[in-house]
Amino acid sequence: MKKILALVLAVVMCLSLFAACGEKKDENKDKALTSLAVCLASEPDTLDPALNSAVDGATMVSHLFSGLAKWTQDKDGKLVIVADSAKELVEGVVNEDGTVTYTYTLRDGLKWSDGKAVTAADFAFAWKRAASTALGADYGYMFEQVKGYPDELAVTAKDEKTLEVVLNNAVAYWNELLAFPTYFPVREDVVANESWATEPATYVCNGAYTITAWEHDSVITLTKNANYHDAASVTLPELKCYLSDDENNMLANFKNGDWKMIDSVPVNEMTALAKDYPNEYKVVGQIGTYYVCWNVNEEILPKGNTLTGVEAEKAKAEIRAAIGLLFDRNHIVLNVSQAGEVPASSFVAMGMTEPDGSEFYKNAGTSDSFDGYYNVAADAFEANFNSAVETLKKYYKYDEASKKFTDFPTLTYLYNTADNHKAIGEYLAGALAAVGITMNLENQEWNTFLNTRKEGDYSIARNGWVADYNDPICFLDMWTTASGNNDIQFGKGAHAGLKMYDLDLTALGYETKVEDGTWAETFDVLISTIKGETDAAKRFQLMHIAEDMLMSTGCIVPIYYYTDTFMIDEDVEGFFTNPLGYKYFMYCK
Amino acid sequence: MNSKSLFYILKRILLAILTVWIVVTITFFVSRAVPGGPFASEKAITPATKAALEAKYGLDKPLMEQYTTYLSDIVTEFDFGPSLKNRGRDVIDVIGDGLETSAQLGLSAAAIALVVGVVLGAVAALRRNKLIDRIVMVFTTACISMPSFIMGTLLLILFAITWHILPANGNADGGLILPIITLSLSPMANITRLTRSSMLDVLGQDYIRTAKAKGVSGVKIIFGHALKNALIPVITYFGPMLAYIVTGSLVVEKIFAVPGIGRTFVSSITDRDYPMIMGTTIVLASLIVIMNMVSDILYKVVDPRITLE
Repeated sequence: MKKILALVLAVVMCLSLFAACGEKKDENKDKALTSLAVCLASEPDTLDPALNSAVDGATMVSHLFSGLAKWTQDKDGKLVIVADSAKELVEGVVNEDGTVTYTYTLRDGLKWSDGKAVTAADFAFAWKRAASTALGADYGYMFEQVKGYPDELAVTAKDEKTLEVVLNNAVAYWNELLAFPTYFPVREDVVANESWATEPATYVCNGAYTITAWEHDSVITLTKNANYHDAASVTLPELKCYLSDDENNMLANFKNGDWKMIDSVPVNEMTALAKDYPNEYKVVGQIGTYYVCWNVNEEILPKGNTLTGVEAEKAKAEIRAAIGLLFDRNHIVLNVSQAGEVPASSFVAMGMTEPDGSEFYKNAGTSDSFDGYYNVAADAFEANFNSAVETLKKYYKYDEASKKFTDFPTLTYLYNTADNHKAIGEYLAGALAAVGITMNLENQEWNTFLNTRKEGDYSIARNGWVADYNDPICFLDMWTTASGNNDIQFGKGAHAGLKMYDLDLTALGYETKVEDGTWAETFDVLISTIKGETDAAKRFQLMHIAEDMLMSTGCIVPIYYYTDTFMIDEDVEGFFTNPLGYKYFMYCK
Repeated sequence: MNSKSLFYILKRILLAILTVWIVVTITFFVSRAVPGGPFASEKAITPATKAALEAKYGLDKPLMEQYTTYLSDIVTEFDFGPSLKNRGRDVIDVIGDGLETSAQLGLSAAAIALVVGVVLGAVAALRRNKLIDRIVMVFTTACISMPSFIMGTLLLILFAITWHILPANGNADGGLILPIITLSLSPMANITRLTRSSMLDVLGQDYIRTAKAKGVSGVKIIFGHALKNALIPVITYFGPMLAYIVTGSLVVEKIFAVPGIGRTFVSSITDRDYPMIMGTTIVLASLIVIMNMVSDILYKVVDPRITLE
């Protein structure tokens, strides 16, 4: 009797589970979009617009603040930058000394979320604060083009509504900077409290939304801000940003319908998701390049070689460039990384545009038959491979029978611990092993890895760079001798004294002509020339020269251009994303 | 409780403080010795900015001075300092938030593990070699041998994705149910097996036979004599288990996106968020030390034969 009773109970329990399941499904149907649940990443490091340097933080801050300009879509769905808090995005006035002055007028009736008026002085204060050494913001350098950077920024509030800023020279991407979170306003009395950006009660903003609830590490609730000047066009009343750092968990929540948009997906699920969720799995372009970098000072010539100094470096440049051609980038994007990336043939990423709107990378290099510095077409790989082997034969012993080099020194490839970097590292090592070059793999935890790479304590390493704004300079100025991002160690150590680079800018109307100069005498000079040049056409020509110089060293081996992969429910309309990876939900319906 | 016991307890408390201090000291110097720093990122900040930040957080001072300042701030003001990564938040707030969730998760899991484990273990022992005993043994073996990430994923797929009965994220209403079950299964199985074997052991003792011979009722024998004595090994296991569950639920927290302290602990290390590393270490080390101490003392309370020395 007892057994029968237990059995009946068990059956009833199981049935009730299924019944509950049915109810829940019905509830989810036909719900109007009054609130959207999304997951961008885990708890943001900060939501202070000046301090933020993460993409997820930038997305949230873009919903919370209104700068002088903003990203939006025009009628045809094209991404544009338009005036937001400013009445219009004015043209700059060039002064006698070459500096450029911009004078903006704020819209009428702008208010903070607590009801106080937004003034030009708030912008001036916020910009000076963001740029200052004292604040120590990651993105303080976004104000580099403003006169007086970092601590004497030439930005002044002429009156309540007029903001004047002086730039060192004309900046092609200035409007884009105005839409960048670091340029958003904050109020002095609000940020005086160092913890202002960690609780809803103290978070005063001026954008489309305000923070109404924040359960740390759990969920941030953004609610439409009635004080926002363009509140009428904001269609989504509430945005709930769930916080999770686990891609598998994000996917589980997306699959069961709880979260309507997730900003990252597990790499090993991508192929299946592309097939199973064709309308919801999205791959969009991102301005960034995944590449492999060499330590310029690493000794790679065979033992017993007689080359030294400049001669040795020239040989090494040729060898490194040749090794870069041994990798099949199409194979990597199709079979290894699998996130819809595009094989790269230049360092400056796809998506960077010239003043005439054409792609920068398509004009890079010297060949008319392909874009960039080498041909990445799938059918060109064999020819690339063969030419690389021929080049390497000049320096290393080659065994024709086994088709392998026999005296190439052993290399070590350094990468940060992550499945996708490991998979790519294994492919690269395999490709080199095929020609007799041994490359061991070494992985380090992220922070240690950054340190090792920065110190130049490696021979060859994984690297990647994503742009902050649409201008190639952000891919080029990182390679000056003193730059903190000069992982390759250009102009440092033995490379510092090598007089082997030529720079002739006389054809462009400059006096600069250096023959057999060091890296500092050529590349560094070239970058400062670019930064001082106001003529857009000339500037871009100079930037092509800079990239040519970089690529001639062979130290940069571009692998692919990054893409941004995410999932969004197909019923959500009005969503868009920008090339920096920011997501925009305010016009969703 | 005699003076000997009191002395023992006092000694244990002092030893506990010493243990935590040693852990703190080692962690402090080891975390600083690891390459990298809290302000490292893919895009390097300028040396001037880095210097300004280091000055702001006192990281420019000699290591020994940082160490003494840190200890004195904790002892005198209970100040764990600011987080270097979550700018504007204090370590104590971040840990407080995380610990609250972790404790909720861990204590519920521990309670379930204890109650279900003891009941199942006792039932299995009393029905030794019967069908129910076999079922319990198979079930517990499965629970012990299946790692929590597999169990968690399985429950997630079944309950959250396939049947839509429970949410997949720990933040939602009812979101803690799946993580609690996942977390409780393995210790529950351990407790079941412990209770069963020690119960069998006790049931074979002379005093039980005596009680039976004297005509004491079955219920009284089981609850008054057998179970009470059979629980001693469970108590030894329970203290460290509780600490383990509260502190070691990282995997489960990750699978179900539960905002607990485990995630903070790990991310603080990768971020080189020194004050956060120290804060989480102190909290977790103290928890483990305290749990062990409490379980040792409880041991004495339950079994008067054990002397504390």
